[in-house]
Amino acid sequence: MVNNRTNYTVQQSPHFEILSEDQKEKIYNGMFRTLQYTGANVHHEGARDLFKKAGCKVDGVKVYFPPEVILQALSTVPPVTEVFPWNGDDSKKITIEKKRSYFGPGPTPPNFIDTETLERRKYLRKDASLVAKVCDALPNMGYVQSLGSISDVSNGLADVYEFADMVRNTTTPIMSWAFGREGVHDQHRMAIAMAGGEEEFRQRPNFIFYGEPISPLVSDYHAIDKVMYCAEHRIPQVYSPCAIGGGTVPATHAGQLVVALSESMVGVIAAQLINPGTCVIIGGVQSILDMRYSIYSYGAPELSLLSAAHTEVVHYCGLPMYSTSGCTDTKKMDMQSAMEASLSINAAMMSGANFVHDNGYTESGLTGDIFQTVMDDELIAMARVVERGIEVSEDTLAVEQINNVGPGGHYLYEDHTMNHFRDYWMPTLMDRNSYEDWSEQEEKTLKDRVLEKTRDLINNYEGPRDKVPDKADQEIENILKESEERIKNG
Amino acid sequence: MKMNQQINKSTKFRVLSEDQIEQIFYSALEVLERTGGNIYQDEALELFKNSNAVVRGNNVRIPTTMVEEALNFYPRKITLKGRNGKRSLHLQKDTVAFGTGSDLPFTYDRETGKRRRTTYQDVNNAGKLVDALPNYDFFMSHGIVGDAPNPQTYDRHQFMAMLDNNTKPMVVTSVDGEGLEDLWKMASLIQGGEEEFRLNPMFVAYIEPISPLKNDRTAVEKLLFAAEKKIPAMYTPCPSSCATAPATIAGMLVQSLAETLLATVLCHLKNPGMPLVMGGVTTLLDMKKSTYSYGAPELSLASAANTDIAKWLNLLMFSTGGCSDSKILDEQASAEQMMNLFYAYLSGANLVHDVGYIDHGTNASLESLVLNEEMMGMVRQFGKGINTDKDHLALDLIEKQGPGGEYVTTDHTFEHWKEWFMPKLQHRGDYETWKADGSKTMSDRVKERTDELLKTHQPEPIEDKLKQELHKIIADADKRHS
Repeated sequence: MVNNRTNYTVQQSPHFEILSEDQKEKIYNGMFRTLQYTGANVHHEGARDLFKKAGCKVDGVKVYFPPEVILQALSTVPPVTEVFPWNGDDSKKITIEKKRSYFGPGPTPPNFIDTETLERRKYLRKDASLVAKVCDALPNMGYVQSLGSISDVSNGLADVYEFADMVRNTTTPIMSWAFGREGVHDQHRMAIAMAGGEEEFRQRPNFIFYGEPISPLVSDYHAIDKVMYCAEHRIPQVYSPCAIGGGTVPATHAGQLVVALSESMVGVIAAQLINPGTCVIIGGVQSILDMRYSIYSYGAPELSLLSAAHTEVVHYCGLPMYSTSGCTDTKKMDMQSAMEASLSINAAMMSGANFVHDNGYTESGLTGDIFQTVMDDELIAMARVVERGIEVSEDTLAVEQINNVGPGGHYLYEDHTMNHFRDYWMPTLMDRNSYEDWSEQEEKTLKDRVLEKTRDLINNYEGPRDKVPDKADQEIENILKESEERIKNG
Repeated sequence: MKMNQQINKSTKFRVLSEDQIEQIFYSALEVLERTGGNIYQDEALELFKNSNAVVRGNNVRIPTTMVEEALNFYPRKITLKGRNGKRSLHLQKDTVAFGTGSDLPFTYDRETGKRRRTTYQDVNNAGKLVDALPNYDFFMSHGIVGDAPNPQTYDRHQFMAMLDNNTKPMVVTSVDGEGLEDLWKMASLIQGGEEEFRLNPMFVAYIEPISPLKNDRTAVEKLLFAAEKKIPAMYTPCPSSCATAPATIAGMLVQSLAETLLATVLCHLKNPGMPLVMGGVTTLLDMKKSTYSYGAPELSLASAANTDIAKWLNLLMFSTGGCSDSKILDEQASAEQMMNLFYAYLSGANLVHDVGYIDHGTNASLESLVLNEEMMGMVRQFGKGINTDKDHLALDLIEKQGPGGEYVTTDHTFEHWKEWFMPKLQHRGDYETWKADGSKTMSDRVKERTDELLKTHQPEPIEDKLKQELHKIIADADKRHS
């Protein structure tokens, strides 16, 4: 029946939208107006010169961007960019294109939940390897960030150590951050070592760099300097703010998106002026300031709504989106963290954002929790089931089987059932035992199972550390030594 | 003013294309013509025999024309009025109402923490909570009145337990046609007579076929009684894919739709124009654990698709959300409940039931009802979408505050931050305050809130005279069945 049908359109995955075309246009136009008349502060002389040469008006640190400069930049952003695992296993390759989602942890919280004691403490160097290794094993982490900022290495080198340890503990492409240009440079060299040479890295870039403007409408020296470095070397990069509704941006969502889009666009323009065709991903954390507690909320439904709507606007501009999910305001994993993560993960999945970060953020972004990441991994798998939609075909419609089984029968032993039941998602953490079986198995909660799974991965998963080529390993150690020198002399 | 502007006032979500829906519809029609359904009730068989359907023993096969004709007679709007006198529940396209599920055999005792049989008092308490919590639009019993004197009349006692503390519109279950008749009489007393009930129905009757394609005597009895009296009713299959339905979502939807369409024809034959609601708990049997999953992501997906189909058929939809497989109220429960609430809301189903279910629909938990209140609030907030009018775009304000400015102290922020969701249970303080307050978890806060609501909420009472009349109907039923 289906096979002979003409003019037949299927919805391969669910259709989801927040903004109409007209609404997206309003925010898009708002960005043009803001950049042209309100302008943005750029605390970087070189960048200002670049903008001026391109036709922008510069007044002190303030830069006003005329529409033709913005349009020119948008015309050279690439529709597709690929990022590759360093070991050549392309099952972990990332394709950055509209509506294709990769989930991962987030960068730089100061604290970490100790995996042994479960106490909150400062983030340590060893945690970077641990996070990389655990994420390497998790099937739904499409890229990796560190979940912290290392506190026990030389001041100013947390970024470089993090990169060195993470890249050797996962083949999943990592997303790094840095204090300044030197940090990115060191990371870039390490990435080249892992790729096996400069040309190899250009062909197969193996990391993404993360940097951010400051809301509202400010790019500080280091932020824009890093944008320029990445653009020069064609390193795919994120340039996205943490916009705080009612704090650093308007309390109304539409206004927030206008500001967030405008300030990110400054990075896009700089990058495209330097190297047309280089990949810049924008977006960021979009949420609100809880006025009663002065907390930037990571669990508010507004985060999910703003992020999904922003994804639509960013895709409307033809750019890839860096979004947010799997995070919470909880201080300690509980039902609150699970429900907040569940909402934001499903919303992000439906929006089709490209990189969805902060899976594993707790305490409103102040504490990294790898247990939360492991729980989120399961929730992402569940959301993927909905993303995949429903296949409607002669076979799946099963009219024959329904007739064979007939009223009052059952399908348990049908071939059709045997052929298809594995298509359904099988949980790894969610419990589906009967009450009796569950009672016999120590009445574990999800949290108990998450702790077990995480610790099992930490203790027993091998990870790629031993497969790092000696030459690359040695080069990374050398770069670390040189960076120590740089800091000492700096 | 700009012309021809189209604005989304809410989120939009859809799983199936129209073409896909048509394929499922055609397939369901094919099932009715070819396989048909079995009916174990004499009056229904008689009605079909006197029609163009083909009856062989208990099997009834139905031609497409009969289905198409019947479908023209169902309402696109039903408005329900609770015993508080408010016409508060509007079943119409894309208007979402949340409510509990019903008849859970077990309950976690809040004193002992142990699992035990559900009682009258538990249903009473659930009613009180649902009455107090604004995100619940309708009430199903949550638990089953396991301590009723007679299983043949438990439904009347259960309805009374629901009415005691709850003033909202309801969805009710009944033992058989006679049971439904008693519930309808009780509700009619409250609404001021049978005629008033017709325009101001207080409940929708929950009725279900047995998948695959089987209709037992009591279910059909209820359906025919509802049709006769024009009582809003749903005929809602609970297929479990792999066991009582094909092992594919599309196949399950085909079968479920065939079951529904059979009911639409039957009701039409009995009395055209009854307020029938389409429904379904469409999920799968976990083949490893042999349990019917209420937390599977496939439940969310299949239910949303089923709602797409209902909307296309211009039928109202009874769907599922806020439920979990977890045996207790833990991280799994809240994650699964949030997920299926989210998709049920996005899909625009009219009555979303089973909110608060844990343990595959066997265990009642009052605390789960309280927890879900917060999650429904979050989902509704999300569903509001984004306002892009001039004031919300705030371009002038952005220019005024400029690069490096702030928004905390602006009037605009003061005017608008109240549009945000105000959590009651989610904790948003900082770490130090949280520690100083005793490091409470969500579970602690839910317990406290449940205690507080049970202690303080005072539902509008039923006047004594009315109460006596209601009890008389129950007593008469008990006498008949003693």
